[in-house]
Formats: sequence, structure tokens, C-alpha cells
Amino acid sequence: MDAALEAKGIEKIFKNRRALAGVDLVVPRGTCFGLIGVNGAGKTTFIKTMLGIVRPSAGSIRVLGGAPEDIDVRRRIGYLPERLALPPAWSATTYLTSIARLKRLPRPREEIDRLLVCVGLASARDVKTRAFSKGMKQRLGLAAALLGRPELLVLDEPTDGVDPLGRAEVRELLREEQARGTTVFLNSHLLSETERICDRIGILHAGAVLRDGPIEALAAQSTRWIVRFAEPIDVEGFTSNGDGNYHVEAEDPAALDEALARARGAGGLIVALRRDVPDLESILRGEVGG
Amino acid sequence: MTAWYVALDVLREAASRRWLLALFALIAALLITVGLSLEMRVVDGALAAVKLFGQEEREVTVQAVDVALRPLFRGVSFFIFFGGLFFGALVTADFAPSLLAPGRIEHLLSLPVRRASLLLGTYVGVLIIAAVAFLFAAGGFVLVLGVKTGAYVADLVYAGLLGALTFAALYGAMLTCAVFVRSAAASAFAGLLLFAAGIVASFRYEISPSFSSDFARQVFEWVTMFLPPVATVGQLAMDIAASTPVDSGALARTMGGMVLFGVAMVALGVWRFERMDF
Repeated sequence: MDAALEAKGIEKIFKNRRALAGVDLVVPRGTCFGLIGVNGAGKTTFIKTMLGIVRPSAGSIRVLGGAPEDIDVRRRIGYLPERLALPPAWSATTYLTSIARLKRLPRPREEIDRLLVCVGLASARDVKTRAFSKGMKQRLGLAAALLGRPELLVLDEPTDGVDPLGRAEVRELLREEQARGTTVFLNSHLLSETERICDRIGILHAGAVLRDGPIEALAAQSTRWIVRFAEPIDVEGFTSNGDGNYHVEAEDPAALDEALARARGAGGLIVALRRDVPDLESILRGEVGG
Repeated sequence: MTAWYVALDVLREAASRRWLLALFALIAALLITVGLSLEMRVVDGALAAVKLFGQEEREVTVQAVDVALRPLFRGVSFFIFFGGLFFGALVTADFAPSLLAPGRIEHLLSLPVRRASLLLGTYVGVLIIAAVAFLFAAGGFVLVLGVKTGAYVADLVYAGLLGALTFAALYGAMLTCAVFVRSAAASAFAGLLLFAAGIVASFRYEISPSFSSDFARQVFEWVTMFLPPVATVGQLAMDIAASTPVDSGALARTMGGMVLFGVAMVALGVWRFERMDF
């Protein structure tokens, strides 16, 4: 499998605090990967480690086939930090021009114009960033990350402070990037956003990855089904949650069929059946407790 | 090349710093005040009379203009040199901490830029600002007096360059301090402390006999040996501005030490910066 990121046994110890306790993670190229976890799980530290901003105490990490410190590797990465600090006296265009120059992009003017339109800042191109709202700063940071058409986009809370419509635009932008072949690595505390954008997730807890893989695979491990009947029933194994739906546990299709047969035998008329797929919040809660 | 781009960004940022703009405005205001208030009567290349702030014209001992202006250049050089170092340390203290600010440094470090280039670019950018300020003050004064007397004496500009070189040593320490503690106040304090310590170091042999203990005297002489002799260079700058002959060997040695100090400080800062997590 061609990997955009391969981390093996990454540890990071800050003085007396262990921020990462042996992270093993592989992110395939072209995927949209979401890293989730509670506060203090080590998400931002891990992101900084994969960018060479933080040096690991132990373990090895390869990004786009090279070391994070490699200039040629970093040229192919776009990054939006959690709290981007912008020079207050610079306009959006000045800022992006500076970043383009540091990325050594030839003739960046057209790309800057295109990106300002993409992130919805075309009308604010000459406005000083000190007048920007938090959401506008995030959009500008996203434009900076997208400069140079990176192969890997690392976004730390990209929709923080962005209004709902703006979030939809960001989602669309990220889908376009993924369609172009870009690998997206996302850290967001908004689990619903992560769920809507990402096709793979990793759960980080206490500095280690508890689980990772496609969202469907993580969710499909549920053995719980939701059944709706035309009339209320009273059958062993079926529990009502009070909203007209019943829950039933079934390890496999045969067990499910047997349970449903019992319900039908007791006069139950099935009108709806679906797997009780947990959302990310439930998955996270199930993994880390609380 | 990347360091140069970083330096350009520092210059762009400098254009919006109020304190820095105030410093340039102050220099410009002083030059304009001198230009408008000072009148000089020059006869056949000799200064005959001076009139200041509209007061009655005062006759002076008739002598060649460049010779007559030497004490003035010496005094101006004093203010440019010491004033420039003092205010320079204050107004440039925020550049490195601003670069290292949370949320900014992480982004810069994710770009295809070497860590050393970021620091060196900041150093070069600030030095360009300092050099422009010193040359603006010294060159402006030479120009104003040149227009009034017809004698353009460039020695004050050379003295200004010595000021810029001395500032390079001070800023090396300020930059390194900012890397260690990421604070503008601490960076300014380091600059001003070194400025004061450098003046003390210039008089180390005059001061050291006042120590009663041999050990204390030796420690003092040993420690001050590594400090940039700010007042010594200031004296040399004043001598150069006043067209007084200076020992070129002593000048080269002093400035060589100054450059070495600056390079050592920046190297220490780069060494630390390369090993830091953000």
C-alpha cells in the first residue's frame, strides 16, 4: 500500500509529560483521514511531529516517502495550524505572496487569485488581516495551505470559527482536493465534520492510536439493530427506547433472522429495519470511555 | 535565497511598526530642524559666521569649513552612535519574538524553509533596518551641512557604518535571547544590558584597579574581555567623524572582535533554534 504517512512507535516526552506513547499509524495516499480524540490526547503533537515541528523522542516517521525535515518533502505539504497567527498589517494578498515566495512557487499571482476566490476572500484581498474575523483567518490559512497544490494537506481544526455555510464550502474544497489525488489529514474536534469529510479515521487516546481504519469498518462492527413495528410488541430480546423503535442484538444474519421470526410469530409487523450504526461520537466514547 | 525572502518579509513588517516609523520620523524631524534653523556664512571655503534659531549672527574664528565643522561632526556622531544603539535595541526587540510567536512559527516551520534561514533572514532584515537608520541619520546630516556650506564630508557616514556594525553584535545577542525566551521585553533587556556592559568593558583597565581582590579583578577582566567594547567603538566613530587619524590596526581588531561576537551569538541562536520543539 502506497502510504502518505507511516509512523512507527512515535514517542514524545516533554520534560515530565509523555505526549505520545508509541503511535503506529499508516495513512494511505489519496484518502481523507481524520484523527480524533479527547483534549490532551496528543493530536496536535502528533501533527507537529509529522511535519518536523516537534522532534520525536523515539520511533520513526515517513511522510510522502521521506523524512519530515526534508525540504523537498515539505514542499509537497500544505499545513493549517490550529491557531494561525497572521501578520496584522499585511493584506490577504501580501500574506499569500510571502508564503508563495517561501514555497518557491513560480508566478503565483494567478494561483493566489484563484485560491482567494475558492476560500471566499476575493472581496477581502486587500484588507489588512487585523480586521479579519476568526473564520476569515481560517479561510486565509486554508488558502495558504493549498498554495502550490500540495500532495498532502494537514489541517488542524480547519473549520474552527467558520460559519455553517463556510464549513460546507470548506468540505466541498476538501472533496475537490481529494478528487485531485491529495491526501487530507484532518484534526477536528467537530466529530460531525470529520464524519462528513473523512473516509478513514484514527482514534488517539493518551498518546497512542487505539483504532484506525475506514469509518464503515469501525462502525459496521456494531451487532445492534433498530427495528420499527406497526404496533407495539412485547418479545424477549427486543427492547424499546420509547420512540417507537426497538433494539435487538444479533451477531450475524442468522441470529437476526431468528429474532425477527420470533417477533413476527408474536404478531409484530415489521415496517423498518436498519443497523444501529454508531456515529463518531459513539465510537469515540466506546473506545475511550466517558 | 530563502533567508533573503525572510529578510524581505521583515522589512515589509517593519514598514508597519509604529515605533520604528516614529524613530525614522524623529530623525527626519531633527534633520529638518537643523536644516531650517541653522544658517552658515561661508566665504571662500571658510566658515565666517553661524546663526542658529534666528538669533543674532555670531562670528567664528575663520577656518576652512571642513575643519570648523569637525567638533560638530564629533558631537553628532556621539548622538547617532549611542542614541542609535539605544533606540535600535528598543524598536527592533519585537521582530524575532514575533517570528517565533505561537501559530506563526509552526506554519513557517512547515514550509520548505530551513530553520537557520528563518533566523538568519530575520537577522539580516533587522540589520538592514538598522543600517538604513544609521545611514539616514548620518547621511542626512552630511547632506544638510553640505547644502549649507558646500563641503560634503563623508566621514560621518563611515562613523554611522561603525554604529550599524556595533548594532549587529548587539542584535546577535538580542536574537539569541529571543530564541531562548521568546519575549520582546527580554530581548530588549538583553540588548540594553549588553549596551551598558559594553561601555563598562571599554574601560575595563581603568575600572579593574578599583577591585581590591585579585581574584575579583581577574574575573572582571576575563568576563569583560568577551564583551563588545561599545564605548571604544563609539570613540573611534567620533574620531572618524571628526577626521581625526585613527590607528587602522586597532580599528580592524576592534571591529573584527565585534563581528566575531555577533557571529558567535547568532550561531548560538541557530544551534538552539535547530533543536527546539514548537
